[in-house]
Amino acid sequence: MSLNDLTSLDMLLEGEEAEVVMLVGGRGLVTRLAEMGITPGTRIRIVRRIGNRGPVEVYVRGSILALGWGIARKIMVKRVS
Amino acid sequence: MKMHRRSDRMNGRVAVRLALAGNANVGKSTLFNMLTGGSQHVGNWPGKTVEKAEGYVRFGHYIIYVIDLPGSYSLSAYSEEEVIVREYLLMEKPDVIVNVVDATALERNLYLTFQLLELEKPMVLALNFMDEAEKKGIKIDVELLSKLIGIPVIPCIAAKGVGLIDILEKSLQIAREGVKPNPPIYGSEVEEAIANLLVEMRDLPIPEAYPRRWVAIRILEGDSIVEKMVASLGGSKVLRLAESLRRRLEESHGEPSSVVIASERYSLIGRISSQVQTIKTPEKRRIVDIIDDVTSRPPTGIPFLILTLSLLISSMFFMGGLLSSIIEYALNPTIAIVEDLIRLLPAWVKPTLIGMMDGFIASLTLVIPYILPFYIILFILEDSGYLPRVSLLLDRYMHRMGLHGRALLPLLLGFTCNVPACIGCRIIESERGRIITSILVLLIPCTARSIVILGLVGHYIGVHAALAIYVFEVMLVFLTGLVLDRIITGEKLALVMEIPPLRIPNSNIVIRKTWFRLREYLIIVVPMLTLGSGMVGFMDAIGVSRMLAEILDGFMKIAFGLPGFTAIPLIFGFLRKELALVMLSQAAGVEDLSMVLTYKQMITFTLITVVYIPCLATFLSLAREQGLRRALESSLLTMVLAFLVGVASNIILSFLL
Repeated sequence: MSLNDLTSLDMLLEGEEAEVVMLVGGRGLVTRLAEMGITPGTRIRIVRRIGNRGPVEVYVRGSILALGWGIARKIMVKRVS
Repeated sequence: MKMHRRSDRMNGRVAVRLALAGNANVGKSTLFNMLTGGSQHVGNWPGKTVEKAEGYVRFGHYIIYVIDLPGSYSLSAYSEEEVIVREYLLMEKPDVIVNVVDATALERNLYLTFQLLELEKPMVLALNFMDEAEKKGIKIDVELLSKLIGIPVIPCIAAKGVGLIDILEKSLQIAREGVKPNPPIYGSEVEEAIANLLVEMRDLPIPEAYPRRWVAIRILEGDSIVEKMVASLGGSKVLRLAESLRRRLEESHGEPSSVVIASERYSLIGRISSQVQTIKTPEKRRIVDIIDDVTSRPPTGIPFLILTLSLLISSMFFMGGLLSSIIEYALNPTIAIVEDLIRLLPAWVKPTLIGMMDGFIASLTLVIPYILPFYIILFILEDSGYLPRVSLLLDRYMHRMGLHGRALLPLLLGFTCNVPACIGCRIIESERGRIITSILVLLIPCTARSIVILGLVGHYIGVHAALAIYVFEVMLVFLTGLVLDRIITGEKLALVMEIPPLRIPNSNIVIRKTWFRLREYLIIVVPMLTLGSGMVGFMDAIGVSRMLAEILDGFMKIAFGLPGFTAIPLIFGFLRKELALVMLSQAAGVEDLSMVLTYKQMITFTLITVVYIPCLATFLSLAREQGLRRALESSLLTMVLAFLVGVASNIILSFLL
């Protein structure tokens, strides 16, 4: 995998699937995300994007999570085709 | 409840304590309501603003005391709710934990289950929403799941009462036998670190309430609360070892140890759920999916929200007004008799008694009619899963005030009456959000204040002026929110929220929940308001209010350009804001207020009335919800605001009018 494949979650389109590669951010935030099931290696699918720069709804581990736009930017993923 | 306990002992019933734990939106409170029925009592956790619900159920020889712990996704002590759940389970040691799990989202739910298992307390798992899981094409091998996690698993449909007896029977059996589950075993790397720590912890006098393995895992994850406890027990060597083990984990994974361990839990959970669960997604797009899309996407979602809100507000006003007049009509004969009786009493007790009666009537005719429709509508919205979608739609705007979309509901309720709005602030997830919202609620013009706005400004100046005051108020609320967001400290929870599936609300549950809240209001809030109003009446009788009015006379003139007599209605406004208008005519000695007040003075007076300290009833509810200190601080803040607004209005309007 080259670095070019890496993108942040907010860049994905609705319906796109990706695998979480890395979480960027403070220990508190990163832990919270991991506990909600967003751990490195997790498959994630964009269900809905609410407006430009709005929250992003993702399908992860069997349920839907809403992530603030600022948080989605801190989740680095690679697309899965 | 205590009385019941005594009589039950005499009947030879054995008491068992059962704690319900689970994620938010898993039907935990529905299960609680179905189990405990009318016995429940809703209050706050001591020193917290998180709701605490307790109740009991008689079952065979047993009386089972049920506590509904706040919904939480982990036990890592990030939020107030998580701290409460963890402290309760460790320190209060319930006889059995019932972990309520949403069968449609097994993987996510099992995360909390695993953290609960780490506590090594007697536990059963209630697998709820079995019917919905089936509709979604999810099949779960209940027996295999039970075997793999080592505790009984009971499938149930809480809203329909399916499986409740099984839950109680299994819980009692587990409680009786005191079977403690085996904690989950993780990968060798983490297990090795835990083993190392346990050896070092050998001589540490850890209180019995804390399982040693749990303590080891927590300090490996960097839990500051547990670290502090270990340090206080003289475990500095243990902490140093934990630090180096943590660093080793972090170096090999490139992530904080807490993330490494969370990943361990999830990978174990992933293996288990792929073994016990088969998912066959239905091909047809279901109607709920379409509704979900319509309500969630801004182009359709925003109009839908506006429609819902207008319906909500108008039905609250309509149902409230209707109920209010019905209750008043029903009460009138009694009031007349009581008034006659009071007239017979000596003069010195009259004001106190009249005050008490006014307070009692107001709490029945002004507050109940609005709180009742509010709760019904709130619980319908809550049960349907619509609220999180509102939060998402409005997130960007509410964010500016440090709030999430949820806070919109109590704010809207504030337009009817601030008392239920203060109580309604409980629905907000974070402590900080509750503080900000409850202050903003105080600035929302309630029905009583609308009477002043419409009766003074609207009546004498015109509807456009009254409308302008409403617009000003909404702006003031938003600006205050912006400022509060900057000055109030506390953790700002980033938006990571589970969006539950849309569900058809269960009318039975909605009615039950509403009735229990209303009952609590009748028992606690009504007497409180009655006594409080009596006290103000008493203070008025001994001349305290008149004295204050005289002191304030000069102040009113200099600060606001208002005649001295306006001080008296402002003081009485504390009792009930709509009284301010009546008192204004009385104090001025004229019916037509345009003879004694200019437009500028009317607007200034109205603005001050609308903004300054909440009425007594609101103050008391706020004190009950947030504590006396916060209630005083918030009131002081509104007084400062009212002062500034009054002064500004006096100066600015001098140029305009």
